[in-house]
Amino acid sequence: MIKDIAAIGNDGILSFIQALNINGIVSSIARKFSKSTIAKTFSKFSIIAKIIAKTFSKFSTEGKFGILGIICIILMAVFAPVITMYPPQKVTGDSLEPPGSEHILGTDELGMDIWSQICYGARMSLTIGLAVAFAAGFGGGALGILAGYMGGHIDQGLMRVIDVTMALPSFPLLIVISAFLGPSILNVILILVIFSWAKPARIARSQTLFLKKNDYIIAARNYGAKPFYLLWRHIFPEVMPVLLVLVIGISSHAIIAEAGLAFLGLGDPTSKSWGMMLNHATGFRSIYFTPYWQWWLLPPLFMLIFLLLCLAFISRDMERILDPKLKIKKGF
Amino acid sequence: MEKDRNSFIFRLLLTLFVILAINFFLPRMMPGDPFSTTSADEVGEEIIVMTEEQRLYYINYYGLDRPLHEQFLVYMKNLMTGNLGRSIYYKMPVSDVILLHLPWTMLIVVCATVVSTISGVVLGTISAKNRKNGSDRIIMMGMITFAEIPSFLLGLILLLFFSVYLRFFPLAGAVTPFANYNGPVEQAWDILYHAFLPVVTLSLSQLTGVYLLTRNTLITVTTKDYIRTARAKGLGEKTVWNRHALRNALLPVVTRTGFMVGTMMGGVVLVESVFSYPGIGMTLRSAVVGRDYPLIQGILLVIAVSILICNLLVDKIYGKLDPRVGI
Repeated sequence: MIKDIAAIGNDGILSFIQALNINGIVSSIARKFSKSTIAKTFSKFSIIAKIIAKTFSKFSTEGKFGILGIICIILMAVFAPVITMYPPQKVTGDSLEPPGSEHILGTDELGMDIWSQICYGARMSLTIGLAVAFAAGFGGGALGILAGYMGGHIDQGLMRVIDVTMALPSFPLLIVISAFLGPSILNVILILVIFSWAKPARIARSQTLFLKKNDYIIAARNYGAKPFYLLWRHIFPEVMPVLLVLVIGISSHAIIAEAGLAFLGLGDPTSKSWGMMLNHATGFRSIYFTPYWQWWLLPPLFMLIFLLLCLAFISRDMERILDPKLKIKKGF
Repeated sequence: MEKDRNSFIFRLLLTLFVILAINFFLPRMMPGDPFSTTSADEVGEEIIVMTEEQRLYYINYYGLDRPLHEQFLVYMKNLMTGNLGRSIYYKMPVSDVILLHLPWTMLIVVCATVVSTISGVVLGTISAKNRKNGSDRIIMMGMITFAEIPSFLLGLILLLFFSVYLRFFPLAGAVTPFANYNGPVEQAWDILYHAFLPVVTLSLSQLTGVYLLTRNTLITVTTKDYIRTARAKGLGEKTVWNRHALRNALLPVVTRTGFMVGTMMGGVVLVESVFSYPGIGMTLRSAVVGRDYPLIQGILLVIAVSILICNLLVDKIYGKLDPRVGI
């Protein structure tokens, strides 16, 4: 029994490490550990690791690159206070210092460190991306599942609302609404959710309509399964993978929208996001006639593009893994 | 079919109504009073210069004391007659401000539509012809990567590289300030020179959609029987591609082009801001910065209506082009 578990554990860790392309030294250590008595405690972890490794190895090279990139950005956001020397909103140097030993990426026009602004800005982009994506993805998904399951007038009504929401020109409306409501993170998140819930709802609904007719669902209902049980145990797990792909797509749209709004000067003025940095830098008089743009404008620009490309690679790969025939059309 | 088309038009009207409603209710939902800030230049400086009597006069003048549905009717009536209110910053009717800036936006949007459609179709055809070949893979990878970069970031990169680093193109504006032209040709050249980078940016952001659509439709079309028949009766490759395959593959591209104009109208706000191009997008940005609410609302309306009109046009043209859809 113990041997079996140890074998599983061994396998799991090994495949995980192979997937990560770490060389043999680490794997020999892993082997030693798994043969000892700690194996039992490791077993659970290693099963999870095995699942992760299996999914990870399904990704293409770009997908792996994307995942590693996202992990880097998340680490940067989480450990922002550790890896920066200065707080992002404090004057810690001369105005517009070029990159040097004091300030790794130089300073902006007020003498604030740009490297710490980049690190803390990652928090902003990730928070907005994740918050909007989960609220819109799973909220919209839940609405879609409910409507698809119940059918009738509720379904028809929801479909009309979805049609109109999807036909609205989202970015101009975003600008206008945030101009009127005033800039704050919460408002931005709220507005973005209002504009992005429709797509997951529509796809979840059509999936539910398709699933509802399956024999095993009908059988479960005939055995007396309550609607909630059916939705939670049978329909939601089936719709979940599609929703996950959509969630990544929504989060990258949300990040773009936040950056765009901030670039226009509609971001939260109390926070430093990458879009705000772009806004400040491009708003600086004669930025293009001086060398300042090289360390003021390029870092946030590069980080935004990097983050969006990583997300895109991941979602493309997930789409492929999920179902090659499934086509989720892109579009805001 | 008839019912489908009716519901399509109904949906457009409903969308228009929702936009109008948002436009109408947003300023009225705002906290505070529009009159206490009209005379204050700075945010902190809230001088209330109006007496209670004056305030009441203005509320009566703008009809804010009447019931909401009456206000809405007045608002609709004003819209129908083209009265969008007065811009606070420009001190002239909003419609005049918009008409002043709209041509520039139309110029770059129309140019970008033409450029991206043509180059998308050409690249898509090259890709489809060389399928499972090196060039297809290279074009495909490049396109997919481009598609993920939002247009304003792409614009910033182009601006930094071509205008700031190489100094090939102008940094801002639509014409050279204070220029004396020696004729219309020179003027047109100057305008094109200034519009070049914004057009390239917008086109690149829309290119991938057209490209993928052309490529995938062509690949599907070339497996059809009539292509085999065309080849079997001895037509040259050129004729088969251009007259039989491409013609049929272009149908969905037409639809795509129409929707593309809509997406671009949304993205143009940011792109114009990047290049300081004096279209309505740039005006919207300055209106947002200056809190010029009537102008913001007017521009939103123009953008929204143009998007809806494009969608309607696509529907009409598609019905004409594809007899299977029928009218």
